[in-house]
Amino acid sequence: MNPLLEQFLSETRESLQGISEKLMQLEHEPESSELMTELFRYVHTLKGNSGLFDFPELTRVLHAGEDLMDAVREGRLPYSLQMADLLLDAMDFVGMLCDEVEKNGSYGDSYTDDSLRLADVLRKLIGVTAEKKAAVDLEPRPAPTAGQPEAALPLADIPEQVRMRAYRGAAGGSPLHFLSYRPAQDCFFQGDDPFYQARQTPGILWGGIAAQQPWPKLSELDAYSAVLDYQLLSEAPLQELKEYYRYVAEQLEITPVSPRSLILPQGDPNGGPVYEDFVRDAQLLLTGGNFPGLERAVRSMLELSNPELWLASALRWLVLVLELEPEDALTPGAILDSLLSLSAPDWHPLKDASLAPPGGACGAAVQSGAAGKGAQPSSQVGGAIAAAIAAQREILSLPDDAPWLPGRLRAAAASLQGCLLALACTDAIPGLQGALDAALAGLSAASLLSWLKQSPLDAAGDDLPAAELSAEVEHPPAQAQPARQAAAGAAAQPASAEGEVKFGRRAEDGFAAAKSIKVDQVKIDRLMNLIGEMIVAKNALPYLAGRAESVFGVRELSREIKAQYAVINRIAEEMQDSIMQVRMMPVSFVFQRFPRLVRDTSNKLGKEVNLVLEGEDTEADKNIIESLGDPLMHIVRNSLDHGIEAPKVRVAAGKPAAGTLTIRASQESDRVFIEIHDDGKGIDPEVVKRKAYEKGVIDEERLERITDQEAQNLVFAAGFSTAETVSDLSGRGVGMDVVRTAIERVNGTLQLESTKGKGTCIRISLPLSMAVTNVMIVESQGQLFGVPMDAVVETVRVPRSAIRTIKRSMATLLRGRIVPLKSLNALLGLADPQKANAEDELAVLVVSVGDESVGILVDDFHETVEIILKPMAGVLSGLAAYSGSALLGDGSVLMVLNMKEVV
Amino acid sequence: MAIAYKKSRAVFSEVAGAEEAEGLLEWLSKHPKGKIDLKECSHLHPANLQVLMASGCAAYVAPSDPGLAAWVASALR
Repeated sequence: MNPLLEQFLSETRESLQGISEKLMQLEHEPESSELMTELFRYVHTLKGNSGLFDFPELTRVLHAGEDLMDAVREGRLPYSLQMADLLLDAMDFVGMLCDEVEKNGSYGDSYTDDSLRLADVLRKLIGVTAEKKAAVDLEPRPAPTAGQPEAALPLADIPEQVRMRAYRGAAGGSPLHFLSYRPAQDCFFQGDDPFYQARQTPGILWGGIAAQQPWPKLSELDAYSAVLDYQLLSEAPLQELKEYYRYVAEQLEITPVSPRSLILPQGDPNGGPVYEDFVRDAQLLLTGGNFPGLERAVRSMLELSNPELWLASALRWLVLVLELEPEDALTPGAILDSLLSLSAPDWHPLKDASLAPPGGACGAAVQSGAAGKGAQPSSQVGGAIAAAIAAQREILSLPDDAPWLPGRLRAAAASLQGCLLALACTDAIPGLQGALDAALAGLSAASLLSWLKQSPLDAAGDDLPAAELSAEVEHPPAQAQPARQAAAGAAAQPASAEGEVKFGRRAEDGFAAAKSIKVDQVKIDRLMNLIGEMIVAKNALPYLAGRAESVFGVRELSREIKAQYAVINRIAEEMQDSIMQVRMMPVSFVFQRFPRLVRDTSNKLGKEVNLVLEGEDTEADKNIIESLGDPLMHIVRNSLDHGIEAPKVRVAAGKPAAGTLTIRASQESDRVFIEIHDDGKGIDPEVVKRKAYEKGVIDEERLERITDQEAQNLVFAAGFSTAETVSDLSGRGVGMDVVRTAIERVNGTLQLESTKGKGTCIRISLPLSMAVTNVMIVESQGQLFGVPMDAVVETVRVPRSAIRTIKRSMATLLRGRIVPLKSLNALLGLADPQKANAEDELAVLVVSVGDESVGILVDDFHETVEIILKPMAGVLSGLAAYSGSALLGDGSVLMVLNMKEVV
Repeated sequence: MAIAYKKSRAVFSEVAGAEEAEGLLEWLSKHPKGKIDLKECSHLHPANLQVLMASGCAAYVAPSDPGLAAWVASALR
């Protein structure tokens, strides 16, 4: 499933929840326009979103809901409980479709009917009440109603050849449907071409176009208001047609056509008495079953007739029918009768005949169409009643030995009574009651069964063939209750309103669990703090174990505490890990703005740049990701402005005209690396040196000694800028300095490598998370201090004799390098000199500060611990020497040094 | 242009889009007796078709595409 759809589904769930909440609230304060507006906004957003996807059923229902809400919002309609019910139903439907989409990626095409019905019911509500209020009529044209009678169809407009071809096809088993398609008046403005849509209809046999109203004068004509009706005859299956027109299902009317109704002879009605003789002979042949003889007679008659005549047309049909259905006597008979009357054959007597119509599939389509629309309740309810009666008969035929027999008898009787009511046979109810009483008295179903046998219900049950019963059971899946229950329900409430479409997802059914939740960041931060405290508390256990052993001398207990500590430690670490995961975000969150930025900036500068983004799904803590935004932006701008050259310069330098800017993210153990690489002109160390000197960033002495690498890194110094002029992009001399500060604030580091003429590469290394910091504990003058592990290079013990004093500062030689030494006590203003150990060695903690290594003299080293670093707050926040404080396992406070400030 | 306007004939070629309808309407108002040639037309947007229908144009050359011809015949009957 694509992320967009995933997001849509999760948002839809939220919106649906919001909608039902608002609807509930509205029931208490129906006058609140504020609630109404909010409700409208929800539905409106939902509809808009659904339009992004190929879910016309969803959009249709939401659109109808939106229209209804709009009408209420504008005061055209009063809010009502019925409306809330309908809306809740509609939202249940939407929820159901979403479930299906989530499960299968899309939903079946069986929902079109349901969506149409729901939309229709919703719209009707607007229509009805709007009429009452005599307000603006939203629907200038009535929506086409379903299932117009076959006789009303303009089948006679279809040329005879086409009708004959259709008849032939129908005899071969293909269904026939007549489609009336009336596009929306404004459909041209939506870029629709209904004519094209009609022309491409599957299985199209014939198509015709008619104007809806008489044409106005040309000067008054609005060419862009769609006023044409399209009529088609198609031999595609109903399902395929519905699928094809699913976006405009409400503008379409599909009527199944029985092949016989196509037999419409046309032509000049003049004939002669000779036909009367012919008809008499033909009828004799027909009743004698002499079909070959009849066909011969018809053919020779046809040859003698003028093809323009009505009679010739009828004869042609006769030939066709005889050819296709040689065994069928009824159809030719009816055509022969019509030859006498010179009117279209009358098929009504034939309808009741047991003979199956040639297009058997078509009959079934009529049935399903009626069941789907609920427009012809008689057949639907009839089927349901038959099913209910059959079920009751089965129940009553069960052995009478069950202990719950009285209950069963009453239930069966109640169902039968429902059937009687449905069939309007109320006068039979007393008889049923009597039979029930007798059955209850004798504890036997026999009397009810015998009543059923002689009751009007028996006939009703038998009338309907078994095939129809099973067809009835195959309801649209939306009403997929157990078939028997559905049948009984339909029987008990035959006149159930059209709007009663339940989707089985009422409040009592419990909600589908949402996959994602939105949580306030504060809550997660609190969780984070708690786990931090947990880790600190957990760290107290080893102390406790130590005390148990050393103070109380219980070694056993100490070991047990340690074992328990291991368990708690594991759980706490996993917990911490999970909470970190919650806070993780992909770097794409920051990266996504770059394509636009690069495009705009390069356009402005007249440069050609290809942006390559890699590793966008690398994840890091939310705070880290957020802190990355501005620095990256500065770096990218700098690369575009100073790095990548104009196309002409590039071509002259033998590079492709378009520069390439690569931003790559990757993760290595607990750090995230971001690399910004351009293939531009690189940084010229000479220029940087000169500029830095001019701006006073470095002094003359430094200018002499500085290496090229160091010079390039000067771009990060405060107040440095190489640009001659200040543009709106860069050149103010704050950019790169800000970058470095921002990265360092989140304990990140920054590296720059540049080759003149080849390009520049900036590498940023960031911790995955800032929550837990590793520090090394050192001791000085009896106090403990923490030093972030990021800064620690190594710990060594240096004999006092190896320490040289150069002027006033101390230094020592470590692996051939001179390392300046500084006493921590002196740095912190403590009076005592550093203590040495028994061998007269001094503890040196080598830390890196910026690009240099400095040795810090301390009294002793301790272990490294994981701590939750709390920044200094309040009055103490002015103490720059400390980056924060942390609680240790034994409850003491550890001050963590900010080495950069201290040194 | 999918419709070429001659002195008294509007000749359609290939697909006449919705944007042609305005011009067609104008031309037909000026040339009420104008002849419509759909021979080379493979499809026309219904906006054009309804302009033709409204103008009551009787004289037209049927499209050579038989499918379209049948549709147009039913419309311009």
